[in-house]
Amino acid sequence: MKDQNTQSRRRFLKFIACGAGSLLSPRFINAATSPIITKTIPSSNEKIPAIGLGSSRTFNVGNDSQALDNVAEVMRHFFIAGGSLIDSSPMYGSSQPAIGYGLNKLGKNSDVFAADKVWTWNTDLGSGQMEKSRKYWNIDAFDLMQVHNLVEWEEHLELLKKMKKRGEIRYIGITTSHGRQHDELAEIMKTQPLDFVQFSYNIIDREVEEKLLPLAREHGIATIINRPFQRGDLIDELEDKPLPSWAAQIGCENWSQFLLKFVVSHPDVTCTIPATSQVAHIKENMLACYGKLPDQAMRTRMIEYVEKII
Amino acid sequence: MGELASYHLSDLILFSQSTYFRLFELYNQAVWPVHLLAISFACLIVYAFWKKPAWSGRSIAAILVVSWSWVAVAFLYQRFYQIHVVANVYATGFIVQALLMLWYGVLKNRLIDFSKSKMRIKAGSVLLILSLCVYPLIAVISGRSWMQFEMFALAPDPTALVTVAVFMFFKLPVILYVIPVLWLVISAVTLSAM
Repeated sequence: MKDQNTQSRRRFLKFIACGAGSLLSPRFINAATSPIITKTIPSSNEKIPAIGLGSSRTFNVGNDSQALDNVAEVMRHFFIAGGSLIDSSPMYGSSQPAIGYGLNKLGKNSDVFAADKVWTWNTDLGSGQMEKSRKYWNIDAFDLMQVHNLVEWEEHLELLKKMKKRGEIRYIGITTSHGRQHDELAEIMKTQPLDFVQFSYNIIDREVEEKLLPLAREHGIATIINRPFQRGDLIDELEDKPLPSWAAQIGCENWSQFLLKFVVSHPDVTCTIPATSQVAHIKENMLACYGKLPDQAMRTRMIEYVEKII
Repeated sequence: MGELASYHLSDLILFSQSTYFRLFELYNQAVWPVHLLAISFACLIVYAFWKKPAWSGRSIAAILVVSWSWVAVAFLYQRFYQIHVVANVYATGFIVQALLMLWYGVLKNRLIDFSKSKMRIKAGSVLLILSLCVYPLIAVISGRSWMQFEMFALAPDPTALVTVAVFMFFKLPVILYVIPVLWLVISAVTLSAM
């Protein structure tokens, strides 16, 4: 995560030149003249773009060279649009090698904010797994290492603390998804020195607003939000429904931007990581990281509208 | 391992439908012309049931042993495992099934006791023909590239289906059915969760 703010406008204009021309509406041009939306990591005050890139499913393409090139293309547009944080896990099959392929092809190995996870029930294997992941990514070090889905979190987290102390990683965190294990996660957030926590949140599944997001604010923990589209189900449900005309007030031209702006506009959300394998979608998603964000009144209106039509 | 119970099935299917089917396309391109051997295996099985020569039981068992072993290594371990973290477990299951059939059908030569039930023979015949002839057409029928076809002896689903069909012709211990039927359930659930 280097010089994000100073370069964001240049990157964004390059983004337009690289094929987003069809999106050149007045709202889009307004967005282009605004800086990329960033959020602050409380433990360091470092700023990162509010929209990152997930890799579950979408980047798990094996050694299919055609699909790997497509992954690299998605990543290229992500970086051009000012994106930085990419998240993966050993659980995601071949996603890590695919990210490494993209980074190598784009020469972005040192620019990415690399977020990965340790995911093994055999805690003796954690260190080796993280090193294997690092080699897949072909980076010097991960920026963020998280314990995936609370798996054997006590022992893994101790190892991560030591790695952070030795300067091998910059941030440590812990993840869950699908609304699982929130009580246990809350306890961990209260007692452990976490930099990041990751869980699911979207316009329909808002349980974390009650407990986890306030807790993150209270303890100075950055939040990464997975499944902002309910793994695509929300987009599938909404794509045939009319986008409200007032969505234009916050620069939304489609449902993905509507849903992403809802998530990142929560004051305690640091970043969300939608996953996609389509260049058109990464362009749409990244546009949500520019322009206005909804205020609380607008967020309420967004919830009411979606709950009415879904 | 308690956390494992908190996963939904769809949480463990971390690849897309298009990636899964594309895997067959790349696999078919890579292993050609092994398909010709697979077709000859299929023809040999049909001939063995039609003419019932003395060597039929042992030959059919040997074909199934080779098919299950090939699918375990060439598809499940070398290819499917790239995108699915538990495919190595599936590959192990296929090897276990191959060993069971090697022991029971080839070494013990127990695929000789034909079922007397006409219903079973009819059902087995229909399933055999569907698995050998119709299953490879599913890719085209469903609008995908024909290169994504799945055929007996090369792909897991038709191999398991043909195996169950073959078993229906004989009186066999239930244990031989366990892995093929379990695989068919796993595959059906996987396809529905993708």
